[in-house]
Amino acid sequence: MKPFDYQRATDTDTAVATVSRNPNARYLGGGTNLVDHMKLGVSSPELLVDVSRLSSDTVETLPDGGVRVGAAVRNSDLAAEPIIRQRYPVLAHALLAGASGQLRNLATTGGNLLQRTRCVYFQDVTTPCNKREPGTGCSALDGYTRYHAVLGSSEHCVATHPSDMAVALTALDAVVHTQGPSGPRSIPVADLHRLPGDEPDRDTVLEHGELITAVDLPALPMAARSNYRKVRDRASYAFALVSVAAAVDIAGDTIRDVRIAFGGLAHKPWRATLAENALRGAPATEATFRTAADAELAEARPLSDNEFKIPMARNTLTSVLRDLTQQEGS
Amino acid sequence: MRLKFTVNGRQAEADDVWEGESLLYVLRERLGLPGSKNACEQGECGSCTVRLDGVAACACLVAAGQVQDREVDTVEGLAGEDELDAVQRAFVDAGAVQCGFCTPGLLVAADDLLERCPSPSDSEIRESLAGNLCRCTGYEKIMDAVRLAADRRAEEARS
Amino acid sequence: MNDHAPARSPQDLDDAIAGGIGESPIRPDGALKVRGEYAYSSDLWAEDMLWGVTLRSPHPSARIRSIDVSGALKTPGVYAVLTHEDVPGDNLYGLKDVDQPVLASDVVRYKGEAVALVAADHPETARRARERIDVDYEVLEPVTDAERAAHDETLPKVHPDGNLVRYQPILKGDPEATAEVVVSGTYTLGMQDQAFLGPESGLAIPAEDGGVDLYLATQDLHSDQAQTARALGLPQEKVRMTLSGVGGAFGGREDLSIQVHVCMLALRTGKPVKMVYDREESFYGHVHRHPATMYYEHGADADGRLVYVRAKLYFDGGAYSSKTPVVVGNGTTLGVGPYVVPNVRIEGWGVYTNNPPCGAMRGLGAVQPALAYEAQLDKLAEALDMDPVDVRIRNAISRGESIATGQVLDYPAPVAELLERVRALPMPPERDGTELDIRELPGGASNTTHGEGVYRGVGYGVCIKNICYAEGADDYSTARVRLQALGGEPAAMVHTAAAEVGQGVVTVQQQITRSELGVERVTVHPNDTDVGKAGSSSASRQTYMTGGAVKTACEAVRRRLLDRVAERFGEAFGDLSLAGGKIVSASTGVLTEIVDVLGDEVIEETREYHHRETYPMDAEDGSSERVQVQHAFSAHRAVVDVDVELGLVKVVALDCSQDVGKAVNPDAVVGQIQGGSAQGLGLAVMEEIRVGDGAIRNPSFTDYLIPTILDTPPMKIDVIERGDPNSPYGVRGVGEPPTISSTPAVVAAVRAATGKDLTHVPVSPEHVVDFGE
Repeated sequence: MKPFDYQRATDTDTAVATVSRNPNARYLGGGTNLVDHMKLGVSSPELLVDVSRLSSDTVETLPDGGVRVGAAVRNSDLAAEPIIRQRYPVLAHALLAGASGQLRNLATTGGNLLQRTRCVYFQDVTTPCNKREPGTGCSALDGYTRYHAVLGSSEHCVATHPSDMAVALTALDAVVHTQGPSGPRSIPVADLHRLPGDEPDRDTVLEHGELITAVDLPALPMAARSNYRKVRDRASYAFALVSVAAAVDIAGDTIRDVRIAFGGLAHKPWRATLAENALRGAPATEATFRTAADAELAEARPLSDNEFKIPMARNTLTSVLRDLTQQEGS
Repeated sequence: MRLKFTVNGRQAEADDVWEGESLLYVLRERLGLPGSKNACEQGECGSCTVRLDGVAACACLVAAGQVQDREVDTVEGLAGEDELDAVQRAFVDAGAVQCGFCTPGLLVAADDLLERCPSPSDSEIRESLAGNLCRCTGYEKIMDAVRLAADRRAEEARS
Repeated sequence: MNDHAPARSPQDLDDAIAGGIGESPIRPDGALKVRGEYAYSSDLWAEDMLWGVTLRSPHPSARIRSIDVSGALKTPGVYAVLTHEDVPGDNLYGLKDVDQPVLASDVVRYKGEAVALVAADHPETARRARERIDVDYEVLEPVTDAERAAHDETLPKVHPDGNLVRYQPILKGDPEATAEVVVSGTYTLGMQDQAFLGPESGLAIPAEDGGVDLYLATQDLHSDQAQTARALGLPQEKVRMTLSGVGGAFGGREDLSIQVHVCMLALRTGKPVKMVYDREESFYGHVHRHPATMYYEHGADADGRLVYVRAKLYFDGGAYSSKTPVVVGNGTTLGVGPYVVPNVRIEGWGVYTNNPPCGAMRGLGAVQPALAYEAQLDKLAEALDMDPVDVRIRNAISRGESIATGQVLDYPAPVAELLERVRALPMPPERDGTELDIRELPGGASNTTHGEGVYRGVGYGVCIKNICYAEGADDYSTARVRLQALGGEPAAMVHTAAAEVGQGVVTVQQQITRSELGVERVTVHPNDTDVGKAGSSSASRQTYMTGGAVKTACEAVRRRLLDRVAERFGEAFGDLSLAGGKIVSASTGVLTEIVDVLGDEVIEETREYHHRETYPMDAEDGSSERVQVQHAFSAHRAVVDVDVELGLVKVVALDCSQDVGKAVNPDAVVGQIQGGSAQGLGLAVMEEIRVGDGAIRNPSFTDYLIPTILDTPPMKIDVIERGDPNSPYGVRGVGEPPTISSTPAVVAAVRAATGKDLTHVPVSPEHVVDFGE
């Protein structure tokens, strides 16, 4: 680990000013991802500004019926929040599917959104990686790719986004609030993360120094009928091979509206708009679900070790939709 | 930097702490509390589980500066002067300890569980201990130990 | 009451000894461990100590042109930077073949090979200095395919003599026999890691006599001592080793890791030096289980009786030999499993490659073929439309029959009985869909299924494993036992070098001493090299070997005590026994207290225990009158639920019947079987070190997955005791068999649930997911 300075932020404005000034400064939230990366030499900031004890650690209801989640709210607290469990079960499920209890107790909402890929080559500083060191090449392309992307990847990077929570937030049309060097702004979670393109070192659209302060969940009544499923190599503490977050609004046997996002398939949580379009107004049948999944996955391009992800994603989406549409009421 | 925080109810101080040291390193190498274990130091195994302001957390991923003025409870704080805590006794009696390297983290996690949920179902025990790896026991006797500890605590509470 | 406990007097003794053999006293180290006060090798601390780190090769195969340590040496806080030029003695070590450098000199043969060492005043300082060591490598093409390495002479030679470590054939009966029913298959097994939780670590303290004292975690103090002394160029008595707390081992601590390195740094700096690997380095710093490719053909008659087995086994030993020769020996001798097979042709190859070195892991060499021969038995059952358990029972080996080498088993071999018993154990409840707890289903709490698309399967596995060292090795252990009066009561102390790695040999030594000497107070001296060899805590051998040594030493102590009593009381020696701290005559009852006979005297005896001689295998046909001293057997039944839609496996039950000869500590026996079963489950469904171009792609516990408490099912354990007349108390090794038979049982259950072939372990979601059209 390289030498660095540590400061505890006392207020958001000072924190943003401090980090914006120094290109090698980083925010520190729960530390579960960044501290690990500093140990591995994947990340070597000069200055850490600890924002984990800034005041935004509350969950509040907004006048429009939405919910505002402070960036410092711990994953475990958010998952336990009654309003989340009742109105956004997909989010509670996704949070509980991530990491372990000990890490969920540390991890923050803002930090979780910004966790970096678990690509084994990104983690291994002895191998080339365009995300870690732009221009060095992508070792995964010809390497071990079970966990890698089948959608939206580029010749420069085939990594996947590791967060479960972000998949649920993407499906829920959540919006991120930030405070940056150019002031505050709001970004839909679906637009927060980037596809790798030729700049795989940039995970998100955030500017340097831009700090996530809160995440808003829209009222979205259909979210009460939502679910998250994660397929992984063991029952606890493993990253997703494939995951699905979905919410449905059903009238009789017809799907009125639907929200779907995939995890484990792409460099970002993958909002499945093609599948959503195929499902809106369609009857809730196995055939429809499969057609919708196929529509979304038609562009999928597997690597040497991950062809299985395509049928697995189709089956997972089908099973989540079957389950949600067969539920009694909402 | 100079670090001040509370460990097992007592004020602790460490000087010349380097910012990159973890809470685990500070406990083990600076404060003489090696009970919290260093199996992975990447938050993957739970062997370093401590309570941070009452909440179970992996000490290996907490940067030293983050514990300033906070309260930390480790496995060393579980037992009384002479008497083992009910969870500790149950682990010994049930044969849940083999090499013992996972034991301190499991004890803190089990203690945390029983505080939140005094008579957990088997599923709740498994769910709560899923962040603690054990390579020796196959977990069966750990299940036995947590059930036994729950029973004994309930008994102690009644008497 | 067991037959071997000291004889009791006719009248009741009100203070009978608790905690003897056959009972389950609590571990003497238990309280310290739950208090967090048990000193593991990574917990040690000394005034003014330095921290050592290791620089490792980033390449699987390369020539070292030069090493420049000047930058590292200039780093403030650094006390020493050492390379191969600083190795004081022989720069080579190894368990069997001495072929591994302490620090690489001209070439590196695997990614992760140690190249240089740094000692500094803070671990972070040492790590930063390590980054400033400049090694100039000429990168070479690595050898990574084990099967090619066995046959292709055109490949680069990993070692000067070529890439073959050992070739061993076994021929029995007519190797070209034919049969009515023939089944064949190719099976592969990934590289498994021991994944012990306590990382490699130790503290070396330089001594005034020019020697060094090393406190460490290991499985075999004397083996480490001999190899370390040779590399340090010191006589063995100047390299003293003491066992610290060991955080698990499972074979991964048989080879050297930090031993020579940390001693070199301590001797060079004149200061105590501590080394602790992190998890990533641990994956590179110890050997793993050999991956294998196995070609099998079984022939049977129409009744399902085996006529022949023909097999070719390839074991990838990686860059250095380690235990590869033994893996080939075990793999071939046990390659047909616990079955009677009249005609056998098995060939085994162990080879060098530039993959990570492989060596000892629980079930050494027997895990790999068990996957294959058990799959073959299931195929045979299917071909004959027989029950899988019945076909196994029909061919089960038993006492008086011979294994493939021709060795006749002259002790109980209750294979059929174990299969019957495990089949008869109660089944887990059926899923009826009414009270589903999703945590009990495949995927568990990740909310993956509500029961649709979930199929249940049941599978069986049975295995054979040799116990103790084999093929003519001189296998022995040493015990020193002291008896004296302390504070008015008799007290014994046992001193051995048997490494307590978690398995409970510390408790077993106490139990044996209590039973043999009739005293309750028994202290186990810390394990060190001040007493004779114990051999390794491996091969399921310590209760047998060190148990035998403690028993023998106790008998010698008892003889001295009772000789005196016989003389003083005019009793026949043969009538006397020790119990409850008293000396008892078979004819007249309690004679006197042990403490009264002892007075101020200390009776101390040291004894070695050797097991029956074993013999090498014939190089041409593998035959041997007694290649192995004892065999152990276990049978598993696995019940699984498989979600074929998502590709997820949930092991619902993993039950085991095992013969342990004599359960010296029944609770510890059950703990061993459950722990071993869980490791076999891990290999079956999740554990594999992914190696690509010679590099480990998943050196962490996030990427190398071992079972969590959510992955591990309830396990019913059925222990039977069919004593071996040749072993102390009739004991039979316990630790390894459950790791062997559990894996094929789980895979068989997944096959039964899915109808898929499944020829590779671990079985992953992509192997069972329904691909649709």
